[in-house]
Amino acid sequence: MRIDRIRLIVQAFCFVFLIYGGILGFSIGNAVPTMACIYAEDRGGACFLYPFQRFMSLPLSTLIGATILPFLIYLGTFFLWGLVFGKAFCGWICPLGFLQDLLTRARQFLGIDGARFRWASRERFQWVKYALLALLILIPMGIGNSLGGLPKLSGDWAVPFCQICPGKPLLPLFSGDTSHLLIDFSSPVKLALTSLLMFLTGVFLIGGFVKRRWFCLYCPMAALLSLFDRIGFVGLKKKGEACTRCGNCYRACPMEIREIADERDRKHMVTQDCILCMRCVEVCPENKALSATLLGFPVFSASAAGFLKRQGCAPPLPIEDFPHDSNSN
Amino acid sequence: MIQIQTDRDEKQAKRLSLHLAMSVREIFDRLALEQNRPEAMAPFDTLFKKFAEAPDEILPSRPVKKVGLYCVTVPEELVYAAGALPVRLCAGSTDAAEAGEALFPDVSCPLVKAAVGFTRTGALGFYRGCDLVVIPATCDWKVKLGDLLSRHVPVLMLNVPKHKTTETARLFWYDEIRRLCRALEKLTKTRITRGRLRASISLIHEAQAEFRRFQELRADDLCLISGRDAVEVANAWFYMDAASWTGHVRCLNEELAKRKQRGLGVMPKSAPRVLLTGSPVIFPNWKIPVLIEDSGGALVCDELCSSGRLLWDMASIDEPLYDDMFDALADRSLMPCTCPVFTDATDRRVKLLRMIRDYRVEGVVHHVLKGCHPYDMELRPLEAELAAAGVSQLKIETDYSPEDTEPLRTRIEAFIETLKGRRLKMGGAL
Ligand code: SF4
Ligand code: SF4
Ligand code: SF4
Ligand code: SF4
Repeated sequence: MRIDRIRLIVQAFCFVFLIYGGILGFSIGNAVPTMACIYAEDRGGACFLYPFQRFMSLPLSTLIGATILPFLIYLGTFFLWGLVFGKAFCGWICPLGFLQDLLTRARQFLGIDGARFRWASRERFQWVKYALLALLILIPMGIGNSLGGLPKLSGDWAVPFCQICPGKPLLPLFSGDTSHLLIDFSSPVKLALTSLLMFLTGVFLIGGFVKRRWFCLYCPMAALLSLFDRIGFVGLKKKGEACTRCGNCYRACPMEIREIADERDRKHMVTQDCILCMRCVEVCPENKALSATLLGFPVFSASAAGFLKRQGCAPPLPIEDFPHDSNSN
Repeated sequence: MIQIQTDRDEKQAKRLSLHLAMSVREIFDRLALEQNRPEAMAPFDTLFKKFAEAPDEILPSRPVKKVGLYCVTVPEELVYAAGALPVRLCAGSTDAAEAGEALFPDVSCPLVKAAVGFTRTGALGFYRGCDLVVIPATCDWKVKLGDLLSRHVPVLMLNVPKHKTTETARLFWYDEIRRLCRALEKLTKTRITRGRLRASISLIHEAQAEFRRFQELRADDLCLISGRDAVEVANAWFYMDAASWTGHVRCLNEELAKRKQRGLGVMPKSAPRVLLTGSPVIFPNWKIPVLIEDSGGALVCDELCSSGRLLWDMASIDEPLYDDMFDALADRSLMPCTCPVFTDATDRRVKLLRMIRDYRVEGVVHHVLKGCHPYDMELRPLEAELAAAGVSQLKIETDYSPEDTEPLRTRIEAFIETLKGRRLKMGGAL
């Protein structure tokens, strides 16, 4: 079966679990590095970013004093999640990622061609996720502490990223909660942030429809998970000498990562935007040019035979074992 | 004046047909003596015998538009999607090259000379009978070929970006492919729809599946098929309908698989394994493959746009939508292409090294047609790089004419002997 179909099923399963799991009393904690929104009532686990921002808004003395232990446990849990799954959270688990993939499916179903970034535009916006990450640390710190002698920020700035994250209005909708679809006039800060949120939510929906995984390019969670790109259990490896630079993988990559096709001298291919969806591996026609790995061992490798099968062409004879000496590196 | 011209042309056409028929018969007289050839080669033999006996029956008789193609950078899928039949026109006849010679400088590529020879004289009907001829502007000869041919047939030139790694090159090529699509649609009055694209990509995928299977069988230690026969199979793709070619190759593959089980090869295991790379080898110019194998080498693979590279690279459908499929076809015909007209030679080097490993090659023969500048230019750095990797190499500069056969034979025999000696030295058994 095609990886992208398996992935959709896994995503759907995770979506149901993360959004409704709470009804049956399931919970996998609140340090899950994926957009399982805290505002979704029946969630079966919660997004790392909300508690993280709360922790950061504590006065520094409290954070490294009274709450240091819970904070460290919390960070440790996050670290373990990240180490084991890494960006696979983005490709296989994240509810927001799933929503974007559904939008793509809808577009494909309607037969509408998608859009792609120009190379330069794509590169131009790569810093955004790091900036958002920095802000979601600095702004909360400015609430509990006076940074550089500046006056403390008002409580209206609390959990600033959540206030502009499209997950906040969208994910609770699935448990029938429309209460976050509003513009809050109670204070200028709230007004600005909620207006921005409504705008970004619109852009999320339209952008996600037009371009695959549009939002993920800006997501601060991806920036955080990039910490595990090299050390994570799940990996993506390339065998340069088998690659013809045909570009199939680049064209199929939802994150439009060019390195995957063009770079031949690099082995580890989990790049800053990679969501470990493994689509590149399944559209690569060259034996073992790309492999998905677990703890360094290949679990799924590109092959001509697999390629043809997934493209809907079943070769009458197996062409699996070519080249014969492929084990020599 | 025009009358005289025509008379002369007609005479030339007759002479060319006669000579072509002679060289074809010569090839097949020799083949008839050979034992141990796979039976499934018969349909391919039948096809090429028609070059002597029934030139008008070479192409399938389906009443569809015929689109002549040069090079491998034109995606045939598009031609099929438009409901037409692609015919690769790159020519290998020394007699045709002579007939076209007058229009070219002294040192020029025999392939284009032969193409012009066939077109001018009309000795092979389909060179003029094509409803459209598509020529990608790859090497300088192909660039100029368009002008020469357009006096006889409608020609569509495709601009090929030479420095293909840039974004501009890719987008430019995407547009060129769409321009080709519109020209084909106009020609056949058929809209190339998503469904048609999909079907034609599958058609080619099926051929590619058999082709890869064939290559895999060639990699076997047994040498299940001679390199010349492999070239014949690939050359047949030029003129056959994709589906029937696929069927014939499937039969051949099945026969080869059986021979593999029985341990039946066409070459002794002592034959050094040779890879042929460089300028194209096209029927009836099978001079080099034949010489290699006559000298006791086993031609186990080639990196030629006329055979080994022909059907290797496969387009992947990502979203079965219009744009994506066009881009897929554009990418597959340009990006992995290792033709030396592109500036970057790493792809070719990497591919050769990979083939040397996969097919356990012991010696590489570089084939340069006199006047084929791109391959010639790429040769020195490539030779140095392969030498650094410890590969034995032989460079052959030749054209289509049989005149230099004997001196070439001497050189190739000496090369094969060296390879044998090397194998002994490395401790391998003969
Ligand atoms: S609003 Fe966004 S960042 Fe905040 S908890 Fe929900 S999904 Fe996470
Ligand atoms: S990058 Fe995309 S998939 Fe990953 S956490 Fe962010 S929204 Fe979810
Ligand atoms: S699809 Fe495979 S062969 Fe093609 S560029 Fe990507 S890794 Fe290389
Ligand atoms: S590089 Fe491969 S695994 Fe990573 S996002 Fe692109 S297609 Fe998915």
